[in-house]
Amino acid sequence: MATSFSGVPIFDYEALASVLFFIGLAGAIARRNPLVMLMSIELMFNAANLAFIVFSRAWLNNAGQIFAFLVITVAAAEAAIALAIVVVVFRSAQQVDVDDVRVLHG
Amino acid sequence: MMFGCCMANPEHIMGVVGSYPLLIALWLLPLLGAVLCWAFGPQLQRAAGWLATVIAFAAFACTLASWGAGTQSLNGALGADQPLVRWMPGFHLGLLLDPLSLLWACIITGVGALIHLYSIGYMEGDSAFARFFAYMNFFLFAMLTLVLSDNFVGLLIGWGLVGLASYFLIGFWFHKPSAVAAARKAFVINVAGDVGIMFAIFLIVQKTGSIGFGNAFAAADTYGPTLLLAICISLFIGAAAKSAQVPLHTWLPDAMEGPTPVSALIHAATMVTAGVYLIARCAPLWSHDGNAQLLVGTIGGVTALVGAVLGMVQWDIKRILAYSTMSQIGYMIMGVGVGAYEAGVAHFFTHAFFKAQLFLGSGLIIHALSNEQDVRRMGGLRKRLPFAFIAMLVGVLAICGIPGLSGSFSKDAVIQGALDHGHPWLYAVGIVTAGMTAYYMFRMLFVTFFGRYRGDVDPSELGIRHPEFAGTAAHGDADAHESHHAPAWLMNVPVAVLIVPSIFAGWLLYGGANSPWHRFFDPQFGAASILHVPVSEMVTTLVTLACVALGILIAYLRYGTATARDNAVERLRRETVGMWPILTNAFYIDVALDAIFVKTSEALGRLVSRVLDPHVVDGAVREAAITAQWSGALVRSLQTGLVRAYAVFLAVGIACFAAFYAFHGVH
Amino acid sequence: MLLALVLLPIIAGSVILLLRGEDRRLYRAIGVIVALATLFLAIEARSEDWSAPWLRAPFVANFHLGIGALAFWLIVLLALCTACAVLAVDSARPRALVGQLLLLEGTMLGLFISRDLLLFALFYDLMLVPVFFVLLERGEHPRDAWRYIIYNFAGGLLLLFATAAFGVLHGTTDVIGAVGTTISGAWAPWIFWGFAIAFLVKTPAFPLHTWMPNTYASLPPPVAAVVGAVQSKAGLYGLFVIGLTLMPQEIARYSTVLIVLGSISVLYGAVAALVQNDAKRVVAYSSLSHLGLIVIAIATQQPLALAGAALYIVAHGLFTAAVFIGLGYVEEREETRSLARLRGIGAKNPRLAGALTIGGLAMLGLPGLAGFVGELVIITGIVQSGNIAVAVIAVISVVLAAAYVLRLFQGIVNGPVAHDLPVRRDLTWREGIAVAPLLLALLYLGVNPHAVLASGSVPIPRAPLSSSAGVTTP
Repeated sequence: MATSFSGVPIFDYEALASVLFFIGLAGAIARRNPLVMLMSIELMFNAANLAFIVFSRAWLNNAGQIFAFLVITVAAAEAAIALAIVVVVFRSAQQVDVDDVRVLHG
Repeated sequence: MMFGCCMANPEHIMGVVGSYPLLIALWLLPLLGAVLCWAFGPQLQRAAGWLATVIAFAAFACTLASWGAGTQSLNGALGADQPLVRWMPGFHLGLLLDPLSLLWACIITGVGALIHLYSIGYMEGDSAFARFFAYMNFFLFAMLTLVLSDNFVGLLIGWGLVGLASYFLIGFWFHKPSAVAAARKAFVINVAGDVGIMFAIFLIVQKTGSIGFGNAFAAADTYGPTLLLAICISLFIGAAAKSAQVPLHTWLPDAMEGPTPVSALIHAATMVTAGVYLIARCAPLWSHDGNAQLLVGTIGGVTALVGAVLGMVQWDIKRILAYSTMSQIGYMIMGVGVGAYEAGVAHFFTHAFFKAQLFLGSGLIIHALSNEQDVRRMGGLRKRLPFAFIAMLVGVLAICGIPGLSGSFSKDAVIQGALDHGHPWLYAVGIVTAGMTAYYMFRMLFVTFFGRYRGDVDPSELGIRHPEFAGTAAHGDADAHESHHAPAWLMNVPVAVLIVPSIFAGWLLYGGANSPWHRFFDPQFGAASILHVPVSEMVTTLVTLACVALGILIAYLRYGTATARDNAVERLRRETVGMWPILTNAFYIDVALDAIFVKTSEALGRLVSRVLDPHVVDGAVREAAITAQWSGALVRSLQTGLVRAYAVFLAVGIACFAAFYAFHGVH
Repeated sequence: MLLALVLLPIIAGSVILLLRGEDRRLYRAIGVIVALATLFLAIEARSEDWSAPWLRAPFVANFHLGIGALAFWLIVLLALCTACAVLAVDSARPRALVGQLLLLEGTMLGLFISRDLLLFALFYDLMLVPVFFVLLERGEHPRDAWRYIIYNFAGGLLLLFATAAFGVLHGTTDVIGAVGTTISGAWAPWIFWGFAIAFLVKTPAFPLHTWMPNTYASLPPPVAAVVGAVQSKAGLYGLFVIGLTLMPQEIARYSTVLIVLGSISVLYGAVAALVQNDAKRVVAYSSLSHLGLIVIAIATQQPLALAGAALYIVAHGLFTAAVFIGLGYVEEREETRSLARLRGIGAKNPRLAGALTIGGLAMLGLPGLAGFVGELVIITGIVQSGNIAVAVIAVISVVLAAAYVLRLFQGIVNGPVAHDLPVRRDLTWREGIAVAPLLLALLYLGVNPHAVLASGSVPIPRAPLSSSAGVTTP
């Protein structure tokens, strides 16, 4: 099992992925603009992708890279649907603050 | 036992095939009459009465024609006995004619036919004339079912149907709330009695696997004391309810709400004596159980006494007769209870005549006085209604037991029978009751027929606070009634015919062991029933007679002397006002029964339908629903609608998973 | 023929529901013809057997139809009650009532001729639907409809679970009427109670009865007649053909529980009926009391009691239908069901009074009518099985029945005419014919109960051959 790629230790890759993930998470929780939330979610996806690829290299197993591709396609689909929802919500409510869109509350 | 010879071997119970069609005709004719009168009542109108009467007489003719079949069976055969209806496997219903059922059938159809004839006159002009005769014929059918059945289920069917007929006829004038209440009371108490018989059937079927009399009696000595006593008590509950024995007698006085011919036929001559029939029929069971005999004899004696005591304080002429009926049936039950079957049955026989005559006589008075029933508002009717006076006089003399008339033979035979079978206390009760009977009967006679007519006196002067029986209130269609009177002979002939057996029927008992009565019933009861008649037992006769004379004397001094007659209004007022509440309320037995059974079950019903059902049973279900709703509300509050809150929940959840695996490792 | 028997009323009912117009005579005529046709078909198809495959995994289930002995009498009762109920429909909007009545008949027919447990469970739920819609549209309160459907569907769900468990253990659910199949083992009590609770809800028995008074009071009288008379028998029929034949050991093991529940129902219903003011509620509680007696009879497994139970099932159906239809006539005429107000019908409408009286007499078990024979034979059987105390309770209920039935019918029929209530014409020929067959059948079965009594003699296999597999088919 390799412990570093291109001279960078595996720990650093993982640290970067974690940082990216938490930045994304913080953005998704804290920001009220749906577009920014979507970008934050993309950030978390990419953090996960980075982790997948690093471990794929580390274990010499291609499954992680395949998963990364899957995540990219799912993210694309998700972005398309999410943007459509945002557009519809904007049309009906004339605002894009997610805290004001709570018609589905229990 | 002596019944072994009669009933032990089922093959001895042979059908008398020749008379069988006759028996079926006798049984079904009244049903046909009832159906015709009911279905074609509006078309038949007055003819309905004649149709029903002719059918009753035809049934009587059939009974007489089948006489031979019921008595020829000397060697203990029960008479005609063939399965008629295949009810279910092992249970067949059939008819039987033996001396006992023959006697009852004779009285039912004979006295019944006379009362039908009388009713044509009495019910003239009633708007439901045809319906009345449909019910009367239906009653005959039901009563014949009761006495002609060769098994307990048939008997129970008849038992229930006579109760139904009685219910319809007590409540015949159903727009009167008091009649409706009386009918319901009679029916419910009688159903309680039916249930007693039902229970006896269950026990008998469990033991013998059969419902036939023959099998049940043949196995009498195999029952064991406990079961036998249970069967006898269950049967007696039925007998007590039907025959108005203490404490189930309270329906009988109220039953006088029915038309007077009904009181004569059902509530004096026939239906109320069904209990006597039942015990006489089940004689093989009773003869095996001294405790049951003691119980039944005692209750019979108590009823005789209570009926007589209450009869002494009544003012309604029909209620006087009703309590007297209760008292006389007490005698009969005492007779058959202690084992003096022939004497008890004989008293039924004579009582049917003189009591029917008394009731029909009172009906003549009530009819003539436009439905007045209160003796205080009568008086002096001897001259106005001489025929009714003679009829009532003969009846009163017969019931009092004046020697030579029918009542003396049978009553003294019952009293003597109590002593012969070892019940001196019942003997004493019988003698005292005879004196009291004489008192209240002569009281009625003096107040009704002697002195001055008091119908025009203001009721309050007589101490009558609620003149409920006055005038038209008692009768259904008084207006129509007044307009066209039926010929008097329609009502007088049956009464006149009844006078003959009222006087002479008792002579059948003359001669004790050699009497025609004993010879007739020997195959039925064998040696079990010792028949002593008054002439051979002079002591009993003399003591009873002394008591009777005393009763008549007191009645004469209180109501019959010239002074008493002249001051009748004042006397009656004082007696009415000063009467003890315990007597006017009939020992509060009615109130007690009401409190114990009616009030309790109604309270339970209210508890169930107002508390248990909505709050406890349904409450449990509702609690479950409320819990589901409440937990739903709890979980629902998490669903805030804030997307970012969901994101936090998600993050926390992931953190929890991560923490879990961090501490425990992946595996 | 068997398939036609089920499909005919269902198709006819659906077609009627799709039609337009509210011609009373037309719908009544269609309904009566269809009901009588099913009666005829049932008699013709009495010995037929029809089967088509349904499921092969996880267990075998077939569309298997056939008419058993008890089922035959129930079908006769059902066809008769439906014909009478349809004839008694006198609503301004008869179409939906007649249509739903026919759907009800078809689904219940399916229930009674199912030879497969899964099919039985299917029809058990289907037959709730027409009643639910009638309650929703014509009932007095939608609450009653929901209460009815939730209770009975909960029962149906248990029935389905129990059926599935049975199927998985036994491999097939095609077992109704197959003599000799019994189950035992660790799962048997669970399966038994699944079935039993479903059936006790439907019957109903204490303490699962609280849906029933509301439902009966709320339904239009003709539908109440069919539901009270026949649908309530679905549970008892289930106890007969499923409980007694497949799980006799379980019934024997829990007979005390069943007898206690039955006894409580008997007394509870009787005392509650004594004080109701709504005429239909009196009948509803009396049903609780009467059917409790049948539950006891089944629990004892005594042959006489079972024979009596079979007869009493039919007799109870007949008099309940007659009484509900009769009370419907009273309600139409007097516009109230309050016993405090009703009186004096006998003077106004003597024919109606006569019909009510005969129905009432059958209800209180008058000797000579069918109800009496049923009660007598059942209680005889209970005594034979040694439960004297239960027999005492049963006979007490007979006395109470006399009291509440007289209170009900004497109150309505007798007494002075109530002047605050409208005066309407007496029974018409149509209305009379709608109750007469029921009353005549009661009289006939009272005199000649032999055939129906015999149908209660279920051949009961006594002992399972093995208990390891849980299921035995010798």
